[in-house]
Amino acid sequence: MTEKPDSKIDFPAILASSVHDIKNSLGAIRALIAELATQHQELAGKNDFIQLEYEANRMNNSLMQLLILYKIDRKRFQISIDEHSTLDILNEIVAQQADLLALNNIQLETACPEDLYCFCDAALICNAIGTILNNAQRYAHKRILLSAYRQDEYVAFSIEDDGEGYPEAFLNMPPRAKNMQIDYHTGSTGLGLYFVAIIAEMHGNGHKKGLILNDNHSSLNVGGARFILFLP
Amino acid sequence: MKLKLKTKKILLIEDYAVMRKTIREMLYALEAHAIVEAENGTAAITAMGKTRFNIVLCDYNLGPGKNGLQILEEARFRKLLPFNAIFIMVTAEQDPGMVLGAMENKPDDYLTKPFTAQQLYSRLERHIQRKKVLANIERELERGNLALAIFYCDKLLQTNGKKMRTQLMKLRAELAITVSDFSAAKTIYEEILEQREINWARLGLGKIFLLQGEIPDATQTFQNVIAENPMMMEAYDWLARTYEAADESADAQEILHAAVDLSPQAILRQKHLAVIAERNGNTDVAKNAYETVIKLGKNSVFKAPADFSGLAKIHHKTGTEIEALKVLDNMRQAFPNDPEAELRSATLETEIYLKINEKELSEQAYRRAFELHTKMANLVPKDLNIDMAKACYINDDADKADAILNNLVKNNIDDDEFIAEIKAMHQSLGMDNHADSLIKKTRQTLVDINNRGVSLFKQGDLQQAINLLEKAIEKMPDNKTIILNMLKILLHDSKANGSSLKKLAQIQHYIDRAVKLGSAREKIGNIRMEFNKLLLNHNAKTSAHD
Repeated sequence: MTEKPDSKIDFPAILASSVHDIKNSLGAIRALIAELATQHQELAGKNDFIQLEYEANRMNNSLMQLLILYKIDRKRFQISIDEHSTLDILNEIVAQQADLLALNNIQLETACPEDLYCFCDAALICNAIGTILNNAQRYAHKRILLSAYRQDEYVAFSIEDDGEGYPEAFLNMPPRAKNMQIDYHTGSTGLGLYFVAIIAEMHGNGHKKGLILNDNHSSLNVGGARFILFLP
Repeated sequence: MKLKLKTKKILLIEDYAVMRKTIREMLYALEAHAIVEAENGTAAITAMGKTRFNIVLCDYNLGPGKNGLQILEEARFRKLLPFNAIFIMVTAEQDPGMVLGAMENKPDDYLTKPFTAQQLYSRLERHIQRKKVLANIERELERGNLALAIFYCDKLLQTNGKKMRTQLMKLRAELAITVSDFSAAKTIYEEILEQREINWARLGLGKIFLLQGEIPDATQTFQNVIAENPMMMEAYDWLARTYEAADESADAQEILHAAVDLSPQAILRQKHLAVIAERNGNTDVAKNAYETVIKLGKNSVFKAPADFSGLAKIHHKTGTEIEALKVLDNMRQAFPNDPEAELRSATLETEIYLKINEKELSEQAYRRAFELHTKMANLVPKDLNIDMAKACYINDDADKADAILNNLVKNNIDDDEFIAEIKAMHQSLGMDNHADSLIKKTRQTLVDINNRGVSLFKQGDLQQAINLLEKAIEKMPDNKTIILNMLKILLHDSKANGSSLKKLAQIQHYIDRAVKLGSAREKIGNIRMEFNKLLLNHNAKTSAHD
């Protein structure tokens, strides 16, 4: 079978440029939401309104992750690794998520030694952990624990919640399949997990690479979900 | 600790009124009251000219006019911000460090829109703390006191523990390179690389190879950094410099071309490409690069008349004279009443009009050029002086041309690239080897002066050596080599025979001259450091007398 040259469309490139376009429109929507909030103070505190902001942010995050994955695929992405205070990273994540967590009446606790430093791309790691935290708060009852500590030659970021934990079937999947699992029940495409796994892998030190781990060994309640990101 | 902004002067640059209001409210909540708002780049630059701000929050995308990065470039270039000011770039990009970080000027931080009040507070708090730690170092750097900056940096490395350690080591290594202390810089980079591969440390090692003339090692290092980090634009610039140092200008052009393909927004890199491509005779690449430079330069502090004349020369060379004249017109519009722009136009117009048989217009242009050149006197940039000399030859004014060249050769005899440009100009007029005897004679004079200076110095006759160089400087006031040698002798004299205010002022004068003439940072850095030590000693002694 021969292919006509003009039938060769670069679908990923078309998708990427559409995503970019959608992201711009979404940016306009978010600006309008912000404008509404300043003009109508009575709206700003309403649950529906905060939910609206949240969904818009979530869409933006997904689109951004798609664009970064596209750039990685085209070898146009490069992480910029430097030394960062782990506490600064946790504080940044808390600052991003505090409003929303308060809305859902979820208490976010953090634990991190003050003199813990980590070599990473801080913006990417904040984003990656933010994604996991977003997931956790859908399943948590009341509490989420975000902690960082040193384990052997890795710095570990752990997110634990007091929910029901991951389904057995999910935990038993091979890693790649797990990260791309589409959950029609929650609407989660697993893109977030996949993204975090890719970002973890891009953090290397010598022969060691970053990795992620999911289990149901939360310290908050028996069987609660635990996610750990290890960076070498 | 609760962050308070009561004493901070804050500049908020944002074109969108609603967003401005939102951020302003966030700042008010921290008791900030000295907030100035600007809705575009021009207003922002004006505000920075009036007030020394502590904090600048700047949106990247400001619609037509300057963007955030061009504001930052201009503020840094014109030194509009105090040394401890915090500049935060607000963007809609999720990976701004990558998209915008390819530029030479980096803000202290990026903040991605939309952000919460708490995010803004924690960023400000972190940077206020960081600037507090670095205050002594940054203050002395701004004053040019390298010795003191290094002193404070070393002290912090000893006392500050793990906090900011890597950042301080990076800064310390950069300071070491500035004062040509390559072994100290190398030790630091190697210590960091022993722990793990960090691209800026690897790049640092490459710089040291290049500055010490170890070209193959430098080439290899930069090539490896690029292979591992294909988006690290700085590495491309350094590799290009390395190729140039090895006279491999085709390779230099190729690597710069690759860099601008990946990141087309950096105006200085585009200029670099244009100049190299022009030198390589690659007119298509040069033309494209110059056109991009002019486009990017529209709102940039780095726009220059030479960008336009560079493009016009290429049109002239490729036989599109009408286009060349159009470009020169555009230059006049972009730089109204600018004598340099006028002179650049006039020197090229005399040549172009002659080529298209407009003798009258050519002569008019030459008369204008002659007048402007006389008026501008020693303010004429050296590359423009070559154009002027060429215009003189074309108009049968060989005496004036030779007089200009005489000066140029004397002052730039140690700049091989520039001397090559003079030769190329003669060749283009069929006057091959016209300047050879002048160049040879000047070179010999320079060698003689240096030899005599060195032997007087060795005999310990410092005063005679100083006198000799003083006379030489009278004859060749812009010769960098002689000024640097003079500085070395003066420093030695002050160290050996004691310093005085008069001696120190003299050294300062020559340092300023060397900087103005564009001496390499690595060459002048060490001299500055020695001078700082002298100043410190002198101050300590005079205050002990009080």
